[in-house]
Amino acid sequence: MAPVLAVENLSVSFPGARGQITVVEDVSFTLEAGQSLVIAGESGSGKSMVCQTLLGIAPGAASVTGTRIDWKGRNLLTLNEPEWQAIRGAEIAMIFQDPTAALNPLITVENQIIDAIRAHRRVSRAEARARAVEVLGLAGFPEPEHRMRSYPSELSGGLRQRVAIALALSCSPSLIVADEATTNLDVSIQAQIVKLLRELKDRLGLALIFVTHDLGLAAEIGGDLLVMYAGCAVERGPVKSVLTDPCHPYTRGLLRSAPTLRSSRANPLRPIPGQMPKPGSVGAGSPFRSRCPVVVDGVCEAQRAGWTSAGPGHDVACHRFALEGREGLR
Amino acid sequence: MSGALVADRITKTFAVSRGGTTRELRAVNDVSLAVAPGEIVGLVGESGCGKTTLSRIMIGIETATAGAITYDGRPVRTRAEWRALRRSVQSVFQDPFTALCPTMRIGDALAEPLAIHGICPPAERKERVSRMLEMVGLHPDMARRLPNQLSGGQRQRVNLARALMLEPKVLICDEIVSGLDVSVQAQVLALLIALQEGLGLSLVFISHDLRVVRYLCTRVVVMYMGEVVEQGDVEAVFDHPQHAYTRSLLAAIPDHSRLSAGATT
Repeated sequence: MAPVLAVENLSVSFPGARGQITVVEDVSFTLEAGQSLVIAGESGSGKSMVCQTLLGIAPGAASVTGTRIDWKGRNLLTLNEPEWQAIRGAEIAMIFQDPTAALNPLITVENQIIDAIRAHRRVSRAEARARAVEVLGLAGFPEPEHRMRSYPSELSGGLRQRVAIALALSCSPSLIVADEATTNLDVSIQAQIVKLLRELKDRLGLALIFVTHDLGLAAEIGGDLLVMYAGCAVERGPVKSVLTDPCHPYTRGLLRSAPTLRSSRANPLRPIPGQMPKPGSVGAGSPFRSRCPVVVDGVCEAQRAGWTSAGPGHDVACHRFALEGREGLR
Repeated sequence: MSGALVADRITKTFAVSRGGTTRELRAVNDVSLAVAPGEIVGLVGESGCGKTTLSRIMIGIETATAGAITYDGRPVRTRAEWRALRRSVQSVFQDPFTALCPTMRIGDALAEPLAIHGICPPAERKERVSRMLEMVGLHPDMARRLPNQLSGGQRQRVNLARALMLEPKVLICDEIVSGLDVSVQAQVLALLIALQEGLGLSLVFISHDLRVVRYLCTRVVVMYMGEVVEQGDVEAVFDHPQHAYTRSLLAAIPDHSRLSAGATT
């Protein structure tokens, strides 16, 4: 199947005191209908910035460049604001981390969804209202006909996030971008929302981009995984393949520092030493070189690593792996 | 028991008024919790289960409606007794951004507990601040900085350092790693383990992330709607949960180790 979304060599930079500061560099991926892509990384990895460029909501000062962001045959990099408005919410929708900030506190749930639908579709209020009931039902919002007149403040955090999901679904988008959409929720609500997103993806044939810092959540979402570090993509492949056979020193470091339900002190977590480089200070070499236990002397400082295959659909950008394979990672 | 902090049959009710009628909300209902010296007790449960309220009662920020707090076998009731308790029992709060005064330099914030309790001559305070910053893995130069010049992980370490300035016996940590990135989280967990093993510090570790609790804690207490539903050794509770709520909580934890195990349990 042809991909609905193909991002080629996306870069985002901001003007700084000493020239442009690059926060996303040369990121590429593709996504098909009904498939999911998890973008994982820590704060400052550029994962949220990638999401924002897919909706044309990157801050005004950002310079977004790249070969192409192909969306159903159109190049998103060349759109102007009216063209974005026709796509944003209608074809590509986003679910944010904080549903309290994403919803208008002064407008009822019902009217927020009706407004969103009527911004994109020429339908009557009654038709839009019927659609609102339908999408709230899809999002697992209980008794939508009765409770949709509530204000966001009258709902729990989990229900607010379901409203945000209903809002995202309201115009039948082909792609939903969820940026840390479950981070603020209680674990049991988080599990429900993750299950809901997976079901909606399968049932409606949605493409889903799920951004998270939690590798456990990446495993629950499934599909493909893109690991980002300091603005660069360092490893990509099927979630299961990347998490059970990580081949980039950063992915391996992340997995060693993340506790699981099987962790115990007999097998201590090993934190990654040091800190992520500040934006703009990465330079020419491998972004992870300052913290990497398997640096290739003279190579990692000099240039970025290209992609090396580590299995079916699984690629790694690491000089050490390119030279010695899994043996070189110890 | 020396240095043991015990909450004995604590109940806390709040008056909630809505639409002109006032009703009673029972946030904590008849909960007991004991922390032995050198022990790390995990307190888990979802938002609103009463875990934070209980911890605030244990350090005297809230007063219990019924029940008692004892430390070292002696009940803590009067203001003077609470003040004395806080030399031995300190707490670290969840949000590292609001817990530090934005206009106070880090060094001054760390020296303040010493001044309040009057336990170190002013001339020696700077030296103690430097030593403590190093202990939590920060450069002593950090003392001159302001909170907004620090990252989230650095601020959380400053908060931890401030709580440790009085060399407490018990530390109450409320969700202190949940806002941190995993690599920073692992560094803070390593520090907590070093403090427990090196100084014999006891911890009440409040978290909703059962993966962290499993790794760090020796004992775990599961709260649900203000009551303790299950408690025991971490291995026992995690491997053979008895209460349906504990089982559902464990099942909800996203966990990549299930991938290699090949099963979704």
